[in-house]
Amino acid sequence: MSNAIIRLGLLGIGVAAFAFSLMACSSNSGKPDTSSVKFTQYVVRGEELYQKHCSNCHQKNGSGLGQVYPPLNTSDYMNQNFEKVLCLMKYGLKEPITVNGKSYVQPMPGVVTLTDLEIAEIATYIYNSWDHAQGIVDVTEVSSAIKNCVTADQ
Amino acid sequence: MRKKIIIPAAYLLLLGVLACEQDRLPIFGQRQVVPREENGKPVNDTVYHTIAPFTFTDQDGKTVTNETFKGKIYVADFFFTSCRTICPIMKTQMLRVYQEIQGDPEVLLLSHSIDPEYDTVELLHDFATRLEVKSDKWHFVTGQPKEYVFDLAQKSYFATAMEDKTEPDGFIHSGAFLLIDREGRIRGKYDGTKEDDVDRLMKDIKRLERE
Repeated sequence: MSNAIIRLGLLGIGVAAFAFSLMACSSNSGKPDTSSVKFTQYVVRGEELYQKHCSNCHQKNGSGLGQVYPPLNTSDYMNQNFEKVLCLMKYGLKEPITVNGKSYVQPMPGVVTLTDLEIAEIATYIYNSWDHAQGIVDVTEVSSAIKNCVTADQ
Repeated sequence: MRKKIIIPAAYLLLLGVLACEQDRLPIFGQRQVVPREENGKPVNDTVYHTIAPFTFTDQDGKTVTNETFKGKIYVADFFFTSCRTICPIMKTQMLRVYQEIQGDPEVLLLSHSIDPEYDTVELLHDFATRLEVKSDKWHFVTGQPKEYVFDLAQKSYFATAMEDKTEPDGFIHSGAFLLIDREGRIRGKYDGTKEDDVDRLMKDIKRLERE
């Protein structure tokens, strides 16, 4: 009887260890999961929102416009300022920034009506288009970032 | 026998003239017929709508008037730098026109700011520099008061430009590109936010140059 319990317990530990190793494996591989339905939904909705709110200036292909509107297709700023990018979609940006070594001074208006989910969708789209392949940007991640930028702004 | 040849030949000639007429771009606006005398005989002159005299300052602080565009073809539009709705698309499209005509000394571009209080010469200079365009080719102009530019837009260019505090950016304006010929007449109106309409403009510039 007790043997059986021990065996079952060992089996449980084994399964857990196996599952854990798989998870560790997938997170170590560095390749984001882009096969899920949720990811596809985020990208599709994100693209729609991008075309509506962002592409006037940043262009449909993310190239930006001269040194007036910065590019998103290749952007060291986007790579280095992930949480700030989430915040500026909602709250805009007034200070000059440097993108790929060039300065941009045109203020960016925010879209305060964007929900955390919509920001997550746009972020998933722009961070998985052109030169970017970062994987899904989850709404929970956005929500915590947005809370932080509100306190930083006020 | 001779008649049989003359009639079809006359038809062909007429067709040729019609085709030639169709190749010419329309002239916009009201026209007036003004009678006068030439060598004692009455003659009628057709007077077309032209762009009224104007004076603005461009991104280099230089004065820009009708004289600047005398004998040239130019494309005009109305915008403001802080606009986030249609202006960025218009500027993207105007940049395409610029790239097409930059080596052509016969064609110039003229972008009027409808927000002269905000769009100072310095700001327009910075904007043009950032678009990497030459100021002798593409003039970004500003001039006070704003009613002056609104009036010119509406009465001379038949383009909408006015203030409206209920709009997100505070102005209503059309995204039109106007094609002006060497005599200051409007020869085409295009939607500066639509790529295919701007393609048509670029073709019409070539047509106008051949007239």
